[in-house]
Order: sequence, then structure tokens, then C-alpha cells
Amino acid sequence: MSFKDWFREDRLPHIFCTGCGNGTVINCTLEAVEEMGWIRDTTVFISGIGCSSRAPGYITTDSLHTTHGRALAFATGVKLANPRLNVVVFTGDGDLAAIGGNHFIHACRRNIDITVVCMNNMIYGMTGGQGSPCTPPGAISTTTPYGMCEPVFDLSALAVTAGANYVARWTSYHVTELTKAIKVGLDTPGFSFIEAMVQCPTAYGRRNKLRQVSDMVTYLKTHALLLQKKQRMEEEGETVPADMFAVGEFVRRDRPAMGVLK
Amino acid sequence: MTKIEFMQGNTACAEAALAAGCRFFGGYPITPSTEIAEHMARRLPKMDGVFVQMEDEIGSIASVIGASWTGARAMTATSGPGFSLMMENIGYAVMTETPCVIVNIQRGGPSTGQPTMAAQGDMLQCRFGSHGDYGTIALCPASVQEMYDLTVKAFNLADRFRIPVFVMSDEVVGHMRERIEIPDTVTVVPRRPLEKGTLPFTAGADGVPGFPEFGKGYGVHVTGLTHDERGYPEATDPALHAALVERLVRKVEDARHEIADVTLTQPDAEIVFITYGPPTRTVRQVLHDNPEKAFGHLQLRIVWPFPEDVLGAFPHARAFIVPEMNFGQIAREIERHTCVPVKSVPKLGGELHTPDELLAVAEALR
Amino acid sequence: MKLVIDERRCKGCNLCTMICPYRIFREGTRPNDRGIVIPELDRPERCTNCRLQGLYGRRLCGVCQMICPDQAISWEEEKPYEPRKVVIEF
Repeated sequence: MSFKDWFREDRLPHIFCTGCGNGTVINCTLEAVEEMGWIRDTTVFISGIGCSSRAPGYITTDSLHTTHGRALAFATGVKLANPRLNVVVFTGDGDLAAIGGNHFIHACRRNIDITVVCMNNMIYGMTGGQGSPCTPPGAISTTTPYGMCEPVFDLSALAVTAGANYVARWTSYHVTELTKAIKVGLDTPGFSFIEAMVQCPTAYGRRNKLRQVSDMVTYLKTHALLLQKKQRMEEEGETVPADMFAVGEFVRRDRPAMGVLK
Repeated sequence: MTKIEFMQGNTACAEAALAAGCRFFGGYPITPSTEIAEHMARRLPKMDGVFVQMEDEIGSIASVIGASWTGARAMTATSGPGFSLMMENIGYAVMTETPCVIVNIQRGGPSTGQPTMAAQGDMLQCRFGSHGDYGTIALCPASVQEMYDLTVKAFNLADRFRIPVFVMSDEVVGHMRERIEIPDTVTVVPRRPLEKGTLPFTAGADGVPGFPEFGKGYGVHVTGLTHDERGYPEATDPALHAALVERLVRKVEDARHEIADVTLTQPDAEIVFITYGPPTRTVRQVLHDNPEKAFGHLQLRIVWPFPEDVLGAFPHARAFIVPEMNFGQIAREIERHTCVPVKSVPKLGGELHTPDELLAVAEALR
Repeated sequence: MKLVIDERRCKGCNLCTMICPYRIFREGTRPNDRGIVIPELDRPERCTNCRLQGLYGRRLCGVCQMICPDQAISWEEEKPYEPRKVVIEF
């Protein structure tokens, strides 16, 4: 058995563009699910709308491809009504942070026993590259033609503050770490949030001098700063470059959780 | 054996849902429907059910749809503004053929309007509110007893046709306390499960596919995109989309006379009142006070799909009088199906028509 | 075990060329019939996974398979080597 057995072979190849990181994140998630020993019949994948949210359609389990931003609300219903089901939510930065922001913070607050894998590509990919709440300052998108002028949403920090039991961030380049983080998330009772920074060469890179897939992956690789290193830099009074993002495990705790099978 | 109770309409609705096997309620407080959520919050945890107060009405209906896919009978209750918020996911429930029950205790609108006053202003919204074409079922109780009976019926219809079913009540019935007979058991018609080996969205002869419950090994992909019989998205095939939407409309519309639930009084009358919901009560009073005038009365307990054939049950009718607590929403639908002149009697503001008002309208038509 | 790239799935993103520690994948040079430049394999017998997967009974390195967004990389069982009699004609 490998994660490959979880794919709907008849639907591959998927619709993602060349070099899109979403496929990698699906691989890592399925590998983690496989390592957990979960079975198809009791695993449910749920998603909203966007590139990331097409993922459940390629997986052989029961899956729910819902409306924009509402995946977590649907997942809440599924998990509470049948706690025997293992629920994993795929979502993106626009889906989760913009239209679904309210559902996100409340799912964290309820600490409901689901795992959320957020593919943060810093852009609205499916609609053709509009600015999202996670588009870095200065970045060009079709709706920010003069550079993004709004600050970004730090989704992991938000999840920590709102009360999630497990929060981690990696990039689609760090496949091994990402897989491990997702596995810990699946294993943790309560709300687990894993943010995967993914490359979007088509909608983001093309307009931001990162046209080649390798350029965009190198960008993620070089701008990822290990959380421990970041903390050490801060302690030592060094300035952390503003365009770098921390990766690693942000929190692992044991707050009371909802929807855990007793 | 039946139990006689003195009960509020909203409580009756919640009790009926529990009797019908509802084990999931996702809600959000809104006047005048809140008592349903409150009652469910008290009762469901003791009956091995789940009550969850979501962060908004969008989340409520989403959680209800999610719960329904695990096989649970699920419902939510709301009023005008919340109902408007639910529209997108109601469309999702239609497209994915998810059975669920949505109770709308209507209040005066548009917008926040009159939170504590009654209205029937959402009758077209429940039919056409979400984008795209679809068929829908809406039930309108006129008394607390009907609230109980129709809520039970709503669950059975939802499971039978795999669509969201609306209980379109209003503040009058929701907050009225009345005598009610609660039966020991109610008829529960469970969902037809998907036969193994059949594609998940292959419809039966009635246009309704079997239900592939989550967690039972069907491995079904459910999407709000236009999908083929396997459930896979296929959003650019014109013929596929046309066939799917036609089926979604027809599975309800073709069964409208099977679904219909009406009460006919005086079929040989010349002046006929047509009502649904609380104006029914006023018309009954008019008929009771003026037996010599031989008015006819048609009460629609199910407004959508509209049972147009029943209009033919009044062969001598010279006029249909349609009192409604809106600006004449269903009167137009009736006009569409009959050559008999239709007199709409709208009443806005939150109060019921008085018998004198209706009598005056009827007398003027003589 | 033999390393293979599924030509029907590969979209030519070359992520495998970035990540393989042995640099077994090389950027391709010629587009295939779908117009996609599939990476080429440079002495794939060097792949740890090819050599030792059977011995350890599990996937070893495998980062190329994990990072491949198009699920195009996999390992196939090789047919056991069959000694053949070679007739040399003079």
C-alpha cells in the first residue's frame, strides 16, 4: 500500500497547472493518512472552492466539495453527526482566510476534531490571480496592479490565537516535514491546522518575476525560516527580514476538544 | 393514544422534528424562530442527538447538509435575514440532492424589518431564492397542530425526494399557544439507500437517486459543480448540465399532485378563498360567521410545488380571493394557472386580515 | 525495482530535477507528442530506492515521488534477469 492507492486513477491527471504545489500537498496528506492506518470507508475529505479544493475529487474516499469558504462548517456537521468518521479539510488561503474567516476562527475555538490542510499559494489561482489576504506586500496580482498595499494574514498565528490544538507550517518543498506535520495533526485530538505554502507559478510567479517553477520553489525554500531560528534571532536582537515566514510547529497542546469519539 | 398538550408553535415544530427522528440541529438565534433552537438544545443531547450553535446561518445550513450526508435527519430553523444568508447553501443542497429541513418562521421584511411581527413575504424566495433552476417543496402550517404534522411530513418528503424542504411558517403560528394532539408515533419513511453497484447519481424512475451515506464504503464524491452520474465534476458539457437541471426540477414538479396537501370546502361555491398559513384562520372565521353566503375555501398546506389541478375542483368559481400577508406573491402563481379572476388581498404590517376586511372584499365581488 | 515517469501524467515541471539527492532526473530536451518536455533519467540504477526497496520492504528516499505534483513517478517491479544464450556467429 502507498498513498498512490488513494487516488481515483480514472480522474488523473488532475487540473492543476504545471508545477502547481497542490499535487505535492495532496501526496503528503495521503501519505500521512496512509501512515495513520486510516481506511477509506471512514475517512472523509471536505473542501470549499478554489484550486486547493479540487483535491478531494481525486481521492477515492467519500468527499464533499462544498461552497466557497464553508468547508469547515460542513465539516463541523459531518464530524459532530458521526464522530467515527475521520475528517480532513483541504482549503486555500482565499477560501479559509477571506470568505471563510469566520468559520475558521470558530472551528479553532470549538476545537473540533478535524485536520485542516491549507494550501497557501498567496493568490486566488482558480479565478486567474487576484490578490488574497495572504498576498505579500508589494506583490503584483490582477487586482493589485500597483503592488499589494494591505498587510498579510498570518494564518498559523491566527489558528494559535483562536485555540487550535495543533498548528504547523511548512512549504511544498519540505515534503518530509510536511508529511510528518500532517501526521501529527491527524493524530492530535481537536483542531489541527497545517499551513502548506505552495508555489503558484501560473498566477503568482508569472507576475512576480518567479515565472519558472524552480524559481518559485527556490523562493519558498529561501524565504522559509525555521521557527527556532527565528526565535533565536529575535532573542539575539537580530532583525528578521520582513519577507520571510516562519516554518515549523507553532503549537501542540491539549485543550478540550469537540467531536472526539468517546 | 394521543397526548393532548397546550403548546407553542415553535415548540411543536421542535417536538415534531424529534419524533420524526431528527438528530442534528445546527442553528443560530434569530427572532422569532429562536424557541426551536432553544428547545432542541434542551432535548437533543438527551436523545443522543447533536445540537450545535453555529457562527452564522451560513454555517448552520452548511453543518446541516454535512450532517445529512452522514445519514442523520438534520434541520435548522431561521427567519427572514437568516434565510437570505442560507440561499447559497440551499442551492448547494439542491444540486447535491441533500435531504434536509429548513424551518423559516417568517417575519416582516425586507432586511431586518419587523422581527416580532408576522409576514409571508418569503414565499417566492423559498421557491426562487438560490440561483439557477430547481424544484422545491414548501409547507405552510396554519395552526400549531399543522406545525407538528407538517414538520414530520417535511422530513419524509426531504428523504423521499432528496431535496431541502421548507417549513414556511410565520410569527403568528410560531409564537401562538394552542391545543395540540401529539400522537404516540409518527410515520417515518426512511431514505432509500444507494444500491451497491449503481452509480451514485443514477436516478431511479422517479428521478431520485439512492442515497450513498458517508462512512458506508460508497466512496462518493459530492460536488456542487455540474456532475455526471459518477458524481465527478463535468462543468462544461451542455447536454449533461441540461439533463441534470431538468431532472432536479422534474423530480419535484412531476410529483406535485402526489405531494399536494389541500383542504377543500364548498367545491360548488362561486366565491372561493384560497389561503395558506395564518390567513386560513381568518377565512375559516368568515365561513363560520356567514354560512348562508356559501363561500368556498381552498387551503394549501403545501404551496410549492404548486398543485394547479386542484383549482379545477371549483367548477363554478367566479372569483378566487387570495388573502396573503405579503404583496400578493402566490396570487400571481394562481393567476398563472386559471382563467377565473384572481383578487389578491395583500396585508402588510404584521397583522392578520380581519374577517370584516375579507367579507367586504367578497361582498364587493358579488 | 525500476524508476519510471508516467508520460501521460507528467506536465514537465522539473521539480524532480530539483529535489533528487542523486540528480537522477535531468531536464529533458525534446517535447513528446503532447508537447511536454519530460525529464530524462540519468543512470537511474543509482537510485537508493531502486536498489534497496526490495531488501528493506518499504519505500526509502522517495522524495521525488512525494514532490511530484502530478503523481507521475513510481517504481515498477523489474522482470527477473533471464540469462540468455548468445550465439556468436563468425
